[in-house]
Amino acid sequence: MMNKGKALSLMLAATLSVSALTACGGNKNDNGASSPAASGSAAASGSASSGAKDTITALLPPVSPTYQDNFDQMEKDFNAKYPNLTLKIEPASWEDMTQKLDTQVNAGSPPDIAFIGSDGISKYVQQGMALDLTDAVTPEMTGDYDAVPLEYMKNGSGLYGFPAYMEVHALGGNKQFLEEAGIDWKKVQKDGWTYDEFRDAIKKGVVKNGNTTSRYGFVFATAGVASKDYLGIMAKSAGMPASFNKDLKYALTSKNYLELLTDLRQMIDDGSMPKELSSVDAGKRWNMFLTGQTMITGKGLATFENSAKKNNAKIDANDGSAVKDSIKVDYIVLPVPTFAGAAPVSSTVVDGYVAFRGKKEPTAEHKANIAKAAYFLSSGQVAATTNNDLFAAHITKSGRDAAASMKIDRNPDNVAAVETMLSHAAPARPDIPADLGAKAIKIENEVIVPKMQALLAGEIKPQDMYDAVKKAAIDAFGQDGIVQD
Amino acid sequence: MAQSAQSVKKRKIKGDGVWGYAFIAVALIVYAMFTAYPVFSAFIISFQEYKPLGSTYIGFDNYTATFKDDLFWKSIKNTIVYTVLTVPVALLLSFLVAIMILPLRKKLQTVFKAVYYLPVVASGVALSLVWLWIFDPMPGGIFNQFIGWFGAHNQNWLGSSATAMFSLVIMAWLSSHGASIIIYLAALLGIDDSYYEAADLDGASFLQKLWHIVIPSLKPTTLFLLVTAIIGSFQVFQNAYLMTGGGPDHATTMVGLLIFDNAFKYFEFGKAAAQSLILALIIALVSLFQFKFLGKDVDY
Repeated sequence: MMNKGKALSLMLAATLSVSALTACGGNKNDNGASSPAASGSAAASGSASSGAKDTITALLPPVSPTYQDNFDQMEKDFNAKYPNLTLKIEPASWEDMTQKLDTQVNAGSPPDIAFIGSDGISKYVQQGMALDLTDAVTPEMTGDYDAVPLEYMKNGSGLYGFPAYMEVHALGGNKQFLEEAGIDWKKVQKDGWTYDEFRDAIKKGVVKNGNTTSRYGFVFATAGVASKDYLGIMAKSAGMPASFNKDLKYALTSKNYLELLTDLRQMIDDGSMPKELSSVDAGKRWNMFLTGQTMITGKGLATFENSAKKNNAKIDANDGSAVKDSIKVDYIVLPVPTFAGAAPVSSTVVDGYVAFRGKKEPTAEHKANIAKAAYFLSSGQVAATTNNDLFAAHITKSGRDAAASMKIDRNPDNVAAVETMLSHAAPARPDIPADLGAKAIKIENEVIVPKMQALLAGEIKPQDMYDAVKKAAIDAFGQDGIVQD
Repeated sequence: MAQSAQSVKKRKIKGDGVWGYAFIAVALIVYAMFTAYPVFSAFIISFQEYKPLGSTYIGFDNYTATFKDDLFWKSIKNTIVYTVLTVPVALLLSFLVAIMILPLRKKLQTVFKAVYYLPVVASGVALSLVWLWIFDPMPGGIFNQFIGWFGAHNQNWLGSSATAMFSLVIMAWLSSHGASIIIYLAALLGIDDSYYEAADLDGASFLQKLWHIVIPSLKPTTLFLLVTAIIGSFQVFQNAYLMTGGGPDHATTMVGLLIFDNAFKYFEFGKAAAQSLILALIIALVSLFQFKFLGKDVDY
């Protein structure tokens, strides 16, 4: 009797432990009846005429500070434009956006449209869940977009959605500190800078009180959600604009990569960056920037100028919600330095409205309706309002036209600097096959990010990290699949 | 006689018995839907390359890949280190707190129970934010200020391999003992006063009473808490996910976090399911070991 009880309790313990960790599998036999995509498809397939009623579902995060406040209006405007169509928006926070979408995708019932980064498209393509809209979009739609950001929404020959904006990953400087350090920031904005010039500049930005550093020259967020940013952004201007070169060989085994790692470590050893950099997350470094603990910060997005201005206004108004101990900051957009003699290539983020399919193949009409909704959300008035909110450059003709009458308080030098950087933005790489992309992402997550943390913490040498990445790359792609220069 | 006994049995099943089954049906259905079925499903998925539009059977590939994966073994090692460092100390702390609360008046006991239980109901994310603030690597961080009083230099608590695991262990030591304290307290209150009275008559000291009465009487409770704490510790996920992300250099990658990453970062649900089943087997073996060697004279 006792043994049975123990056996039962053991079984329950084991069962609970498995169930706690494996509540992730979907039901293969799920017919997806409750799937928004499936219901949309069903609605579309129920009639053959182009005026048939249909519902398009969209999972959207707070893209800009006021974006989610406008959902009702966006739904109404879409319905006014297409009376037979209903746009049903499901809001999500940034924190649970990916998890929510991934759960829906893996259950076979994703929304028709989700707002994600273009770098996430390949994994959904590999799963077969991203929806190719190539034959559903019209030339008028595609002709509205700038060519470069539109390319980012492609994988292979497929077009999987429309871009909302293309933002450049820059650095941000404190104008007063830059000028005190004798840095000609206007020249840097125009002509860029090499690593050696940058290294000298950030050394000049360091302020010490005895043995304590009260201000660093440069602080980049490297922890938490920003863990991939630092190396990823810098590598672009070190001759590695993508993980694969044009011959589809893994590029991060190039000698430039070792030189880049050496340079990144050197800035900490110089004392220009904090030795605790590996634990500095996005919030911490912004706080350090606003409180005058660093002269330059990264990564910088155009909208940070707006954030700095808002905090300045709070300081002027003696508003208690201003960042504690913050000082007034004139935010200056600065380019990323170039490494190893490489040409400048700006890292960009292209986010947009990506289309998904459910377990059932959507009808041609439903696909066309999804394209209409994605286009509506990423162009015209909606795009103009959102991108102005973000200080992001407009990437559609209709967005530019709609924004012409909107006023925006932006430093013209920063606008010009962003335009310069966008002019040499890293090109999209739809030619990289999804399976290669997935392997590169796994190397990034399992080798590069952990080793980079160790490198920044001073626990390994640049050569150790380079060797580890090279070994993982050879394991994944073979000797012939990597760059060996 | 036999016939009448059978008819009585039938009547019971039709009467009280039916209601009994009806009452447990809800729990049974919930268990079947949300525990038994996912486990069965995980078992099936562990032999597949999972794809939403149709999985393919790949035999034992997920298991062989897991056994060949250095990161899996590293995560198992990290999980064992974390368990060995946290569980005994957590049990000891819970026991000591329960012993200290026991002599207090009932109202005061309730206050302390509530205070110690609060972190259990608080959001893990909110708690992690507080701990991130405590472990701030800059000189202004709370722990760094604390060690600064003793002349130590500031530490990169979560960013260094030397201190990251220890930081998670400190976090486990100093939080969420509420349930254990309450269970220990209930067990302490269940010890018959006559044992203490007899010990008093024999002139036993506090420590003698603790050693000869309290600890043996609490053995079933301790075994229960030990088994459940080890199961919980083997499944630890949240702290590593929110505090370190498994870094630096996988120094805090626990097996639960690895399974999550395989499932939700790489969509390798088959591999994740195989790893979770292996973990379940390890937990079952550890629990069996505990029952066999520590539960010989324990009766529930």
